[in-house]
Amino acid sequence: MDSVTHLLSGFAAALSPAYLAYAFAGCVFGTLIGVLPGLGPSAGTAILIPLTFKLDPTGAIIMLAAIYYGAMYGGTITSVLINVPGEAASVITCLDGHQMAKQGRGGTALGIAAIGSFIGGLVASIALALIAAPLARLALKFGPPEFFALMLLGLCLVSGLAGRSLAAALLMTVLGLLISMIGIDPVRGAPRFAFGIADLYDGLGIVPVVMGLFGIAEILITAEQPVREIIRARLSNLLPSRDEWRRSWGAIWRGTGIGFGLGLIPGIGAIVPTFMAYILEKRLSKTPERFGQGAIEGVAAPETANNAYANAAMVPFLTLGIPSSPTIAVLMGAFIVNGLTPGPFLFQERPDLVWTVIASFFVGNVILLVLNLPLVGLWAKILHVPFRYLAVGVLVFCVLGAYSLQQSAFDVWVMIGFGVIGYGFRKLDLPLAPLVLGLILGPALERSLRTSLEMSAGEYSIFFTRPLCLGLLIASAAVLVVAALKLAPKQLRQA
Amino acid sequence: MNSQPASHRLVESVVLACLCAVFAAATWIANGYALKDALGPGPGFFPFWLGLIGAVLSLVLLAQSWRGSAIGKVVEGLWPDRAGALRAAALLGGLALFALLLEPAGFRLTALVVTAALLVALGVRRPVAIAAFALVSSFGLFHVFYHWLKVPLPVGPFGL
Repeated sequence: MDSVTHLLSGFAAALSPAYLAYAFAGCVFGTLIGVLPGLGPSAGTAILIPLTFKLDPTGAIIMLAAIYYGAMYGGTITSVLINVPGEAASVITCLDGHQMAKQGRGGTALGIAAIGSFIGGLVASIALALIAAPLARLALKFGPPEFFALMLLGLCLVSGLAGRSLAAALLMTVLGLLISMIGIDPVRGAPRFAFGIADLYDGLGIVPVVMGLFGIAEILITAEQPVREIIRARLSNLLPSRDEWRRSWGAIWRGTGIGFGLGLIPGIGAIVPTFMAYILEKRLSKTPERFGQGAIEGVAAPETANNAYANAAMVPFLTLGIPSSPTIAVLMGAFIVNGLTPGPFLFQERPDLVWTVIASFFVGNVILLVLNLPLVGLWAKILHVPFRYLAVGVLVFCVLGAYSLQQSAFDVWVMIGFGVIGYGFRKLDLPLAPLVLGLILGPALERSLRTSLEMSAGEYSIFFTRPLCLGLLIASAAVLVVAALKLAPKQLRQA
Repeated sequence: MNSQPASHRLVESVVLACLCAVFAAATWIANGYALKDALGPGPGFFPFWLGLIGAVLSLVLLAQSWRGSAIGKVVEGLWPDRAGALRAAALLGGLALFALLLEPAGFRLTALVVTAALLVALGVRRPVAIAAFALVSSFGLFHVFYHWLKVPLPVGPFGL
């Protein structure tokens, strides 16, 4: 009952004109950034953080969350119209979505994606509202050792599922953790790795680092590539025919289940649910040969799973403080910038904010549907803006964002430095998600480890004598072992 | 038989060697901080172990790289063509110029000059489009952020 009361209060706040305007603006900016080639949701969310600087924390988070799922939908438009996924989760949508566009059914593809995303997002938001509070209450029983083990599990999941090499993913995690050590030691207050440079005493800002790794690196990589051809799709028929509805309906519900279920597991990433939803539809279909040739289920299932995943990923993030993906990690950075720490304590300390944000997910899903169906033609036109202008505009916005956080040109240099590092790592296929998660979770991981060891007077047995902590540590080890066993044959084949 | 081209393997090895050096240096520096104190683990404890683990992982990957592919995927476009490389270099150079001039010259002047120069470098040849874009992304953005969103941005000579 308590959750229902809180949720209703959240709706009252989320439906206030100011928060509605922030959610609307977030959806518009998010879709816009998702549509722009070469910018994914992580980079887009990071770049747009400066827009929220002067908002109150609730407004800022509502707007950034709307940017996040707006960008997730925006990526679909590029997948369908130019066969370039705006973000990794839309890769599978290219297969049938682009074929539909080539057959003059681009409007229907985008229409079913919007409807599927709406249903998936809405159902996932309802489930989020139902399970968030009990999960947060359970997490409140955690002590520092359990939190340490939980964060370790999150990092292991992300490392185990991130790339083609487990060692490379672990290396990136450790690098992120090490970078987070720069600055004042959170427990004793001693400076570390600052080398007498005043700008380093506060550590490296999450926003400039993420903007560099995702925004600058993506722009540099896109700048190297040749310009792609854009299909002038017919976008008049947005609503599916009766037969297309019949084919899509089951796919949408199965996509919702897959997206939500997998979204609860940190580190899975949005690609897995979309691929699973697609493969399941192909397996269930009586005419699997249509897949890859413009089957509407091939768009409906992964797009629904994608949005259900995006909303479900908020569960571990809001209740446990574990970001499941780089974009959620960016969102976590925005929480931290606003003086908020996601996790169970946030439900106790700021229930108004948490429930308003949860209510805003419902509102945001409705706004996205209302916005995207009639404006799909407008979004498609944005694809025709030449990359030269986009790249320069994005760079100016990145500089603005990096500088305005602390009014420091040093942060701009940090962004450029990490842009070059991100560019190099992307070229070598070194995964960036574990690096960002390590960077964000580093201080909390260290604090919980050291507090645990202080509690036990330096005895490591504290981690093995508490059943929940032990269970989480065993799960972490199991994730790494399974990932190693899964990846080993592939690496042996390549060697 | 190695699946990665030799040039890719060389770059991979150099990057991994650099990372190994960074982790080794971090371990050495962290060893200089207190690893333990009266209350338990000291400020050097966590970075020391991270540095050590990172160095070991870098060495493992380096060994894998020498044997074949360390990271897995064969990257086809490791080196861009000349035009692509020039575009990326121009953007990076523009960013560096932006960072250098931002505080002494102010946001508006820097953005005006850098965006115009970048558009020219990227091949835009329409003076009106260049001028309009440069004005919007310098004076326009400054107005939105400085006056509407109240974000303090650097002001240069002559109040520009």
